Amino acid sequence: MFMALSAHVEPSRELDRVVIRFAGDSGDGMQLTGDRFTQDAALFGNDLATLPDFPAEIRAPQGTVLGVSSFQVHIADHDILTPGDRPDVLVAMNPAALKAHVGDLAPGATLVVDRHDFTPRNLTKVGFAINPLDDGSLDHLSVHVVDMTTITVEAVKHLGLSRKDAARAKNMFALGLVSWLYGREVAGTEAFLRQKFAARPTIRDANVTALRAGWSFGETTESFAVSYTVKPAETAPGRYRNITGNTALAYGLVAAGRISGLPVFLGAYPITPASDILHILSTLKHFGVTTFQAEDEIAAIGAALGASYGGSLGVTTTSGPGLALKAETVGLAVMLELPLVIVDVQRGGPSTGLPTKTEQADLLMAIHGRNGESPLPVVAPRSPADCFDAAVEAARIAITQRTPVVLLSDGYLANGSEPWRLPDVSTLEPIEPRFAELGSEEFQPYARHPDTLARPWAPPGIAGLEHRIGGLEKQHLTGDISYGPDNHDLMTRTRQAKIDAVAIQIASTEVDDPTGDARLLVIGWGSTYGPIGAGVRRVRRLGHRVAQVHVRHLNPLPKDLGAVLARYDRVVCPEMNLGQLATLLRDRYLVDVQRLTSVRGMPFGAEQLQDELLAHLDQLTHREMP
Amino acid sequence: MTTVDLPMPLLGTDGVPRASQPQNAKEYASGQEVRWCPGCGDYSVLKAVQGVLPELGLRRENIAFISGIGCSSRFPYYLETYGMHSIHGRAPAIATGLAASRPDLSVWVVTGDGDALSIGGNHLIHAMRRNVNLTILLFNNRIYGLTKGQYSPTSEAGKVTKSTPMGSVDQPFNPVSLALGAEATFVARSIDSDRKHLTGVLRAAAAHRGTALLEIFQNCPIFNDDAFAALKDRDQAAETIVPLVHGEPVRFGVDRRLGVLRRADGSVHVAPVGPHNEADVVVHDAHADDPTAAFALSRLTSPGQMVCAPIGVFRQVQRPTYDDQARAQVDVSRDRHGAGDLQDLVDGTDAWTVEPPLTNPTTPAQTVRTEENR
Amino acid sequence: MTYVIAQPCIDVMDRSCVDECPVDCIVEGDRMLVIDPDECVDCGACMPVCPVSAIYGEDELPAEWSSYLELNATQSQR
Repeated sequence: MFMALSAHVEPSRELDRVVIRFAGDSGDGMQLTGDRFTQDAALFGNDLATLPDFPAEIRAPQGTVLGVSSFQVHIADHDILTPGDRPDVLVAMNPAALKAHVGDLAPGATLVVDRHDFTPRNLTKVGFAINPLDDGSLDHLSVHVVDMTTITVEAVKHLGLSRKDAARAKNMFALGLVSWLYGREVAGTEAFLRQKFAARPTIRDANVTALRAGWSFGETTESFAVSYTVKPAETAPGRYRNITGNTALAYGLVAAGRISGLPVFLGAYPITPASDILHILSTLKHFGVTTFQAEDEIAAIGAALGASYGGSLGVTTTSGPGLALKAETVGLAVMLELPLVIVDVQRGGPSTGLPTKTEQADLLMAIHGRNGESPLPVVAPRSPADCFDAAVEAARIAITQRTPVVLLSDGYLANGSEPWRLPDVSTLEPIEPRFAELGSEEFQPYARHPDTLARPWAPPGIAGLEHRIGGLEKQHLTGDISYGPDNHDLMTRTRQAKIDAVAIQIASTEVDDPTGDARLLVIGWGSTYGPIGAGVRRVRRLGHRVAQVHVRHLNPLPKDLGAVLARYDRVVCPEMNLGQLATLLRDRYLVDVQRLTSVRGMPFGAEQLQDELLAHLDQLTHREMP
Repeated sequence: MTTVDLPMPLLGTDGVPRASQPQNAKEYASGQEVRWCPGCGDYSVLKAVQGVLPELGLRRENIAFISGIGCSSRFPYYLETYGMHSIHGRAPAIATGLAASRPDLSVWVVTGDGDALSIGGNHLIHAMRRNVNLTILLFNNRIYGLTKGQYSPTSEAGKVTKSTPMGSVDQPFNPVSLALGAEATFVARSIDSDRKHLTGVLRAAAAHRGTALLEIFQNCPIFNDDAFAALKDRDQAAETIVPLVHGEPVRFGVDRRLGVLRRADGSVHVAPVGPHNEADVVVHDAHADDPTAAFALSRLTSPGQMVCAPIGVFRQVQRPTYDDQARAQVDVSRDRHGAGDLQDLVDGTDAWTVEPPLTNPTTPAQTVRTEENR
Repeated sequence: MTYVIAQPCIDVMDRSCVDECPVDCIVEGDRMLVIDPDECVDCGACMPVCPVSAIYGEDELPAEWSSYLELNATQSQR
C-alpha cells in the first residue's frame, strides 16, 4: 500500500507515518535541515527515527553523486523502529541528489526538486543525457519543481549578501516548504537559527527569511494543493527528548562517573564516527570529566588506562581501525585487571573502509582480537537512546569486575536519533568502586573476590599498599612476576572465569514470542534491533508466528541463551557482517544458526528482512511435507 | 586550548603530600631480587634514584614509576613505591593519564633508547610538547639488550649487530637534540658511572614542573660494552666530557684548556682557550627562552663512536604544564557552571512531556494506517 | 646490599675486578682489594672475574669471613 501523497483535493490529509529524505550536495546543509525537521517533529510529539548518510569527504567534488549528503527521517503517530526503507518524500537539491536517490522512490511518492542546478553542465556531470525533469521519466511520481535557489536569493536580496551566501540559505527554504507540507510550525527552527547565528546577524536574517519564504511558498502556491498531518504518537507518559546515539553514550559515561563517584577520564583520538563523543564530553568538564586528545589511538587508551590505574573511570572512544591499534593496550588492561571502557563506534569495512557508513563487523575483533587468551566483556546498545544505558552497564561491569569492557556502538546508532524517555537519574543504581583498604595482613594485589573473582583496585596514594603491576604474567595472589607453567595455566583460566562470572549478574534472555509457539527465532545484536523488529512485525501482520531475541551482552552470553535457541526449529541471525554472532552461537551451542547478512554500509531494510523471514518460514513448512 | 590565567605550581613535587619522617634509601628498595646482568649500568642508576627519592621528602605511596619494555623497564619492580611495568613504548602515554588525573602523585617514567625513541617515539615527543608533569629517565645504552643485541635508534651508523651484519645504514637520533626540537622544557644528560653528577641532575629533574627528560648514558656490558668508554676512562674523561653549568663559561679539559666557542652561523665548536679568546667562550644559559643555544650545545655530542659529549642541564625553562592547565579548565568550568546537574544534562533544553491519557487511548479511526517500511 | 672481598684475595690482588667495576668502587686495602659499600651498586660484575673466588654478595658472605664486611667498609675509606 502506498502513502496517499499524490494530489487530492482536500486541503489537509491525516497520515499515520511518513518518511522524508532531504538530499543535496555535501555543502548544502542537508544534515542541519534534517536535524531541524527532526527536532520539530520530536517537539510535536511524533515518534521518529533518523538516518543521516554523508560522504567521508568534507567537501566531495561539488555536484557529483559521490558528494551527495542525505538525511532521512521517519515520523509517525505510533511507535516505529526504523528510519524507513523508502522515502515517501524526496527533497532533491541538485541533479546528483536526484540521481542518487530517485531509484528508492516507489510510484506515487512525492519529489520536490530545486530546479536551479539542473543545467546542461550539471546534468552531464552526473550522467543525465536528457533533463529528467522534462523527459517523462518521473511521471510515476508526484513531482514539484521549484527554483528554490532563485526564490531564496530574491527573498534575501534586501540583506545585501553576496549571491553565494544568499544561495546558501536555500536549505532553509526547503525546510520551510516541507514544514508547511506537513503542517509544522517553524518557530522552533527560527529560535534555533537566531541562537546559532547570533554573532552573524546578516546570515541569521537570511536563514530566517529563507525559512519563512519556503513556508509561505507552500501556502500560496497552487502546486501544493494539499498538506498533510501526522499526529503525535501515543507514547508512554513522561519527559522525552530527541537524542543521537553518540550524545546518549556520552551522557551515559557522565552518569556512570556520577553514580560510581569516580572522575571520568576520556583519552581519545579523533576518528569518524566516534569523535562526537569526545566533542560532547569536552564540554562537560564541570561534571569532573577530563578529556585528553591524544597523539594517537594507542596513547589515547594508554592515558585512559593510566587514569584508571590512578582511580578514575578510564574511557577511550574509537572506531574499528582505532580498536585495532589499541589491541596491545587492551591486552595490558586484561593483565592488569583494571577498569576501562573501550567504546568502538563501528564503521564499514577493513582498513579505512567506509568511514561514514555503518557495519557490525568488529564483533569478533572485540571478543578475540588480542594476543594470548585475553577475555573481556562486550556490550552492545540496540538503539540511539539505549546507548545511555549500555554505557552505564559497560562502566558498571568494568568497575565491579576490574576489567576492560568493549562497548560496541555503530555509525547508525551514533548519528541516528530517536525520542528518549528521560530517566530519573536518581533511580540509577549506584556503582561501588570498593577500592582496596589497608588490612591487617600483607596486601595481595591479585587476591580475588570469591564470587566475582575481581582483584583489589589499589590506586597509588595509600601507604602500605605499594605494589608493582605489569604486563608480565602474575603470580596468583602476590602479583609478583611468574613464569611458572602451573601458575600461568591457573591465571589464564582464572581470567576467563572472571569474565564468565559476569553472566551471573546479567538478566536472563528476553524472548519476544507472543503466542509462545513460534518455530522460527530471529536473533540479533546491536543496531539491527530496529530493522529486525520492524521485519518481525510485518511477518506477524501477515499471520505468521516468529520469535525475536536481541542480545545485549555479547560476551559472556546470557546463561540461558543456549536453552532458548534449542527451543526453536530454526534460528536466523541477521547481521551487518558476514555472520559473526552466528559463528559464536554455532560454536557455543552447536545450533545450526542461519546467517542473514548484509554489508552495504546501511541498515537492513524491513522489507528485505520480511522477505528473508518468509522464505525461512516457507522452508520450515515444506521441509515437513511428505 | 584556552590559556587559564591562574597561579600554577612551580615545583615538580608541589601538590604531592610530604612525608612526616625523614626517609632513607633502604626504605625505597622493594626487596625484589634485582635481575640485570652483572656490571649493567642500570644498577648505578637504581642506586642513584634510591638515594635521591628520600631526599625529596615525599610520601612514598605518592610516588609512581611507570616503565615500558626493555632492560631498564624492570626498574619499578625494585622500588618500594607504586609502579607499573607496562608495554613497549607506551609508558609516557600511560603516565600522562596518571599525572593528569592525580596531581598528588610524583610520576616518573623509566624507558630506554629503543622503548622511548623507536616504538614509543611518538609518545615521548608529545609528552614533552605538552609539558606533562613527569620525570622521564631515558637509559641510553645505544643497543637493544633484552632482545639480545640488535642496533637501536641511537646506535652509531655502521653498527654491526645480529640484525645488521653488514653494518647499520641509518643515522641515529641525538636524544637531547630531539627533546629540544620537541619543545621540552627540561633536558639534561648524565652518565651512569658518575653517581655525584647523576644525583645532582636527578634532583634538578625532580624539581622541575613539567616534563623533565634526563638522558642517562648507560653501559650495556653484554651487547654494547664500552660504548661510552671514552667518556668513562679516567685518563680521557677530562677531555671528552663537556660539563654544562648554568651561568658559567663552558670550559673543560686538562687544566681547563678547552672551551666551547660560537661560530658566526650560531653553531658551536670546541677549541683550545687562551687569553686571546677567553672572553668568547660560551656562557651556558639553561634558562634561555630560546632553545637555539642549547640545541647548538647538543650537537657537540658525537654522532658516531662516542668521543665527546656535554653533560648537565641543557635547558630548564618554566612553561605551564598540560596537566595543571587541564585541571584549571575543570575548575574554571565548575566556577561557570557549578558542579553539573546530571538530571539537567539528561533533560536538555528541548524536552517535551507526554501527559498520561485521560481515557483509554484509542486509535484514531480517520487516520490512514500503512505498513511500516515499505 | 654491597659486595665484599674476603680472605682469598690476600696477597693475590689480581685486579681483574677493578677493570670490571663500572663505578670504580674497588680500591687497594692492606694486602688485598676492598669494595666501598657506599659506592657499590650491587651489580655483581666483579664476582665472576675473580680468579680466586674472593668476592661475595653481602648476604652470601661465609660466616667465617663475616668480619670482612666491616673491613671492606673501613679500609675503602682510607
